[in-house]
Amino acid sequence: MNPLELTLGIMTAVGGFVDISELVFAAKAGSKFGYALIWVFAIATVGIMVFGEMSGRVAAVAKQPVFNLMRHRLGLKLGMLTLLASLIANLITCAAEVGGVAMILNYLTGAPFRLMAVAGALVLMASMWVLPFKWIERTYGLLGLFMIVFAVALVAIHPPWDQIAGGFVPQIPKGLSTKELLIFAYFAVAIVSAVMFPYEAYFYSSGGIEEEWGPKDLPMNTITCTIGFGLGSLLSIAILASSAQLFTPANVDPQLLGSSALEVAIPLGTTGLVIALLGMLFAISGAAVETCMANAYSLSQFFGWEWGRHRKPWEAPRFTIAWVSFFVVALLIILTGIDPMQLVEYAVLFSILVLPLTYLPLLLLAGDRSYMGEYANGRLGDTLGWLYFVLISLAAIGALPLYFLTSGGQA
Amino acid sequence: MSRRLPLLLLLLAGCSKGPQADLQYIGEARSIAGEWALVNEQAADGKLTGPYIATMHKSLRQQIETAKAALTVPDSAYAHEMATLVATPDNAPPQELRHHADRLKQIEDSLESA
Repeated sequence: MNPLELTLGIMTAVGGFVDISELVFAAKAGSKFGYALIWVFAIATVGIMVFGEMSGRVAAVAKQPVFNLMRHRLGLKLGMLTLLASLIANLITCAAEVGGVAMILNYLTGAPFRLMAVAGALVLMASMWVLPFKWIERTYGLLGLFMIVFAVALVAIHPPWDQIAGGFVPQIPKGLSTKELLIFAYFAVAIVSAVMFPYEAYFYSSGGIEEEWGPKDLPMNTITCTIGFGLGSLLSIAILASSAQLFTPANVDPQLLGSSALEVAIPLGTTGLVIALLGMLFAISGAAVETCMANAYSLSQFFGWEWGRHRKPWEAPRFTIAWVSFFVVALLIILTGIDPMQLVEYAVLFSILVLPLTYLPLLLLAGDRSYMGEYANGRLGDTLGWLYFVLISLAAIGALPLYFLTSGGQA
Repeated sequence: MSRRLPLLLLLLAGCSKGPQADLQYIGEARSIAGEWALVNEQAADGKLTGPYIATMHKSLRQQIETAKAALTVPDSAYAHEMATLVATPDNAPPQELRHHADRLKQIEDSLESA
């Protein structure tokens, strides 16, 4: 294991962990319920560690990407349904991320939102065209490390660390009305969805195949998933905690993407604000690229097309057309004038509905000794995998009723 | 009955009108006024950049206008409070904005306890 590669892998996972939905829901969760939802972030993070590690291991051992397996495991009809649902979920997420990029550019420059959406999308597409896979992943992941300023800002406001630590213990705040309990449940479901977005597994496992992982890379896969995702999740928790500390006393439920940056500006001033906005820009840009590529990977793998960024764009023409088309459609959705924050709600809602279907074939395959041999899930992996499968299935069942009953967590 | 209850709640949520239905928008306006005050306070301390301040003001104003337009009782104390907020200049003093936020919070609390 090359220490430099390992460090870069972990840093990339940390910087690439947070996306627009985590930024939005962490800030809202903190202002509404203080530290009481930290444990949901923690539990969901262990979930993405479990499934991320599995998807990387399957890619390294079986040399099969998730969607190829899905078609074989679920059959053509159910596989097609899953494909369609994940394409829609990822497309909505991608549009929300493109909208997020435009909003941040708008905060940084003051230039019109639509102009920034077009400019941002063009730059992202150019980077996807020019850079090989490893550098796409690393560029956005490493630049996303500017997000560490959120942790610095939290330390600077001297929060009650004992209360933050207490937030890691599963709890439901006492004295909530029925309405508030429903909102709490909605936020819990939304956080699980935001942390365990399905595109992360598609992108991660396809990346493993792009980089020609083998069994020798499994320790790096495990360390990257556990340490990288774990540290990345701490950034989301820092956003939640700062929001609880700064917004709750001011009776503010942050509705805007720029509100999160305000958490940094209050203790650290203009420099902190700019660093926070840059961190958000790169983190959200990375997520936009990943969601778009995840869709192109899924489609190409399902239909058996040539795919991958290790090939020149014209050597995998249908894959290239797919990712360009998805990005253009995501941009067009944003240009209709729809509020990106509303899209974040839809993305989170739609993704949780798809989540069980996405992770079931992966779970089955990772535990199948005929494919995985000695690298199949052990007892711990199997137990955790099935526990999380039950959890996300319950969240999927509850998501729609909770969304309507709480008007998307508002009422 | 237990199977019909969620459906009934959904229908009620969709059809309700009056101050109770407006609670969501009152809460939004209260929050926006509070955030606006925070932005202006930090701006006065020189902690924010010009483009950020302008973009936040524009977005916050748009959100209040959207919330105001969605009210089902336009001739109410909270509607007037929101109309006053819409007419407030971008660089209004934080205390003035907090006063509006407090007023809206009082209305919100009284409606919630009703």
